[in-house]
Amino acid sequence: MKTILSGENIRKSFGEGEEKNRVLDGVSVEIREGEFTAIMGPSGSGKSTLMYTLSGMDDIDEGKVVFDGRELSALKEKDLADIRRRDMGFVFQQPTLLKNLSIMDNIILPSLRDNRKKAPQLRDKAESLMTRTGIGGLEKRNITQASGGQLQRAGICRALMNDPKIIFGDEPTGALNSTSAREIMGLLGEIHRSGTTILLVTHDIKVAAQAERVLFLLDGKINGEYKLGLYDESREDLKAREEGLTAWLVERGF
Amino acid sequence: MYGRAILNDMARSRVITLTTMLFVTAAALLVSLAAILGVHLSGAIDTLMTRSETPHFMQMHAGPLDQERLEAFAFRQEAVAEFQVAEFLNMEGARIVFEGGSLAGSVQDNGFTVQGEKFDFLVDLDGNPIQASQGELYVPLTYGQAGLVKPGDEVKVAERPFIAAGFLRDSQMNSLLSSSKRFLVSPEDFEALRSLGSLEYLIEFRLHDLADLGAFEAAYDAAGLETNGPTITYPLFKMMNGLSDGLMIAVILLVSALVVAVAFLCIRFTLLAKIEEDYREIGVMKAIGLRTGDIRKIYLIKYAALAAVGSLLGFGLSFLFRDALLADIRLYMGESETGFLAPFMAAAGVMLVFLVITAYVNGVLGRFRKIPAAQAVRFGISQEKPGKKRSLALNPGFFLGTNTLLGIKDVLAAKKLYATMLTVLVLAAFIIIVPRNLYHTISSENFLTHMGTGKSDLRIDVQQTDNIAEKTAEIAAAMEKDPAIVRYAVLTAKSFKVLRDDGLEQRLRVDLGDHEVFPLTYTQGRGPVKEGEIALSVMNARELDLQTGDSLTLIVEGQEKSMTLSGLYSDVTNGGKTAKAVFTDPSAPIMGTMISAEIADPSLIDGTVAAYAARFGFAKVSGIEEFIRQTYGPTIASIGKASYAAGAAALTITVLITLLFMRMLIARDRYAIAVMKTLGFTNGDIRKQYSARALFVLAAGIITGTILANSLGEALSGAMIASLGVASFAFTISPLESYLLSPLLMGLAVIAATVLGTLDAGKIRISENIKE
Repeated sequence: MKTILSGENIRKSFGEGEEKNRVLDGVSVEIREGEFTAIMGPSGSGKSTLMYTLSGMDDIDEGKVVFDGRELSALKEKDLADIRRRDMGFVFQQPTLLKNLSIMDNIILPSLRDNRKKAPQLRDKAESLMTRTGIGGLEKRNITQASGGQLQRAGICRALMNDPKIIFGDEPTGALNSTSAREIMGLLGEIHRSGTTILLVTHDIKVAAQAERVLFLLDGKINGEYKLGLYDESREDLKAREEGLTAWLVERGF
Repeated sequence: MYGRAILNDMARSRVITLTTMLFVTAAALLVSLAAILGVHLSGAIDTLMTRSETPHFMQMHAGPLDQERLEAFAFRQEAVAEFQVAEFLNMEGARIVFEGGSLAGSVQDNGFTVQGEKFDFLVDLDGNPIQASQGELYVPLTYGQAGLVKPGDEVKVAERPFIAAGFLRDSQMNSLLSSSKRFLVSPEDFEALRSLGSLEYLIEFRLHDLADLGAFEAAYDAAGLETNGPTITYPLFKMMNGLSDGLMIAVILLVSALVVAVAFLCIRFTLLAKIEEDYREIGVMKAIGLRTGDIRKIYLIKYAALAAVGSLLGFGLSFLFRDALLADIRLYMGESETGFLAPFMAAAGVMLVFLVITAYVNGVLGRFRKIPAAQAVRFGISQEKPGKKRSLALNPGFFLGTNTLLGIKDVLAAKKLYATMLTVLVLAAFIIIVPRNLYHTISSENFLTHMGTGKSDLRIDVQQTDNIAEKTAEIAAAMEKDPAIVRYAVLTAKSFKVLRDDGLEQRLRVDLGDHEVFPLTYTQGRGPVKEGEIALSVMNARELDLQTGDSLTLIVEGQEKSMTLSGLYSDVTNGGKTAKAVFTDPSAPIMGTMISAEIADPSLIDGTVAAYAARFGFAKVSGIEEFIRQTYGPTIASIGKASYAAGAAALTITVLITLLFMRMLIARDRYAIAVMKTLGFTNGDIRKQYSARALFVLAAGIITGTILANSLGEALSGAMIASLGVASFAFTISPLESYLLSPLLMGLAVIAATVLGTLDAGKIRISENIKE
């Protein structure tokens, strides 16, 4: 399988002088097309920062990030924005919807920028995505009139609107109750099976256990990689994967 | 502990701190100046009028005078403390020649007088009554200020040489708005000049108690004494002396009120932005048990420090500017005896500014109470709930594009927030447009028709001379034959008695003639066209308590004549008390005549004016533009300058506030901006959205401001102009300036400020603002 995203010897620090804090210290990583990868690690290990640098949202001090054959650090702000809009989807811990827009408008917003004339088609597509994610009928609602789980689904719909090559998730179930979290993971699994690459940051073993492989980050370095293979969506499989992953993580002092 | 935190904070947000301080300083400076000027002006007027012993009642009179009868009257009146008759020798302007040129073109009535016998002293620049020696001439300050003459110059009066010995302050006629100017000479020289000009009398009284003035005026009228000329009383002298500087103080106060308002807005912006910025910290402070009052104190101290420094700076600066602005008052009126009070009043004013600002900050900080600690700690940003409201759908067909629509949606969703910026823009539009409109209005020729004079190209006044009727006829005959003159009209001023409801009689100056040729603008009704009709100036109508349609009784040729009031008009000439009618009464003595004419070719006006002036030396000939220039010239010029200054100030305020506002918005929206960026919106897209917000608010501001300027502004200006005696008032609007230039300039200012203010949007890092 072809590599869609790679990071090579990424170094990244915050602060200056004595307060300088190296968050990523020579991280190299490769994400293959269609793969579902989870990044785990204790708080402060640099996992979110890794995701932000890999998606081009944050710049790097040293190293190289290549997405779909293009080196992100060499691109201008405008081109990076184009890539994020057309080829990437993002799901965050909090539903990052804009409060002045209805749920429907929030979902079509990024697609609208390039396809103003195809608005009716965009709305159709959004409606079918909403039905698929179980929030059909909420199109005209204001974002204050929906639950956290519903908003997170709307966020996923937005991420899927442009048929992205990759979806980045930063603790996408972190702010949800267990039922909603399960449903969201089910949804992401489904998206993955339809061929979309997924890269998640999480500290939740239940979430990470549904990925094909887990990267463990410690003190800004990749400390190890655990391969889980494809998840068959059965309870038993999930249980077994969780146990295996837990044992591996304990070995690493997690 | 707070000191260092405050200094650090100010250093971090230098632009905002400086801007806020600038406005506080400006507000304190203006308030302090207004207080200083106010104290000095009122004190200086009092000092001048006390030293000069200004008459309480003064009747000007041309024609024979019965001194004994007047003395007897004065003796009988218990209210009278002193009485005197002063002589005023009218001299044609052309016969008063300075080294630099003559007063030929002057629209003032220039005359000579000797020092007052008992009171009404003309004083020198030290405030002492002047004793002129033979050959010495003391010149009204105005002419010195105009650069026509300086002490030591030779001045020729009717070919006789004089030495300009110095300048004089005249508590009656200092003001440009007063239509006469007095030169002082020695009694010997006065006698020598006597036959060369026309004599007028100033019949003057000082009373024991000014409160008796009303009763005394009525008694003078009732006694049937000399009345061929205007009557002026002490309060009017005082008003004339105070008017121009008083207007300046009023304008300063008005501007300082606006600056304080802008300072408030500025503080509100920065404070709200700061609260947004520190949201999490405030939450944390609450969470660890600090009281709202404690937290409030931290912020309050900073703004109180800022307000204190600004106020002190403003107070200090006001003393730098003080002398420049006081120069005129000092020159024309002298020192104020209460001047020592000025710094205290200024300090009190500045203290008030400081207290008002601190109280305001405290009020805005009241919202700390509403910050929920848990939410603030968790999200670090206020979680406003827009509630159930209809949200504008993102319509992709919208012709301006998604970014524009997103910008407009934000404005509509947070109307309260944008209302502040809207207010600033409305104020700015108002401040730019109103003074310009005022300027165009006053400098327009039509404005004269609001002031008791019809619009004509040429105006000839014949008064204070003998054989007025014949001289007027001579001019009329010349005009009749003059091909350059399209039409002309003669108005003859005569004095009649009016029978009042209370049975008393009152004099009325009536301009007789055809009032249709060069019509006035009437506040109410129309001009007189029939024999039995009369129009009254607003002041007269008010005094006689009459409305359009009412009737009044005049004594004409010894008979009672009932007249119907056809209309009212504003008048600033002749003390504001005039009337217009069309009947004739050959028996009544003529006070003066005025001939107005329209000239066929505007390019011939100057030539015609010069020709008539040369031919009819006894008359005062003026082109209308010259008349406006001389009478209102300085007022028009200062309003013109003030309007440019106001425009520049308004544009500066617009730029500063827009800049601050945009920075605040960016701080507030950093999360939403980060979200937009993750969705693939470029910095350019985001700037477009913010420009759309600013331009949307700008459009609303300009429209509202323009409408307000042309309605409320007109009313306000009308009220200000009313102090000049003009009751009806409508703006003359320059569409190019009001509807094109001013919106264009404001638009450019807002766009420039928006671009500058949103530069920071590009620096917002997604990871820092979205990371949990």
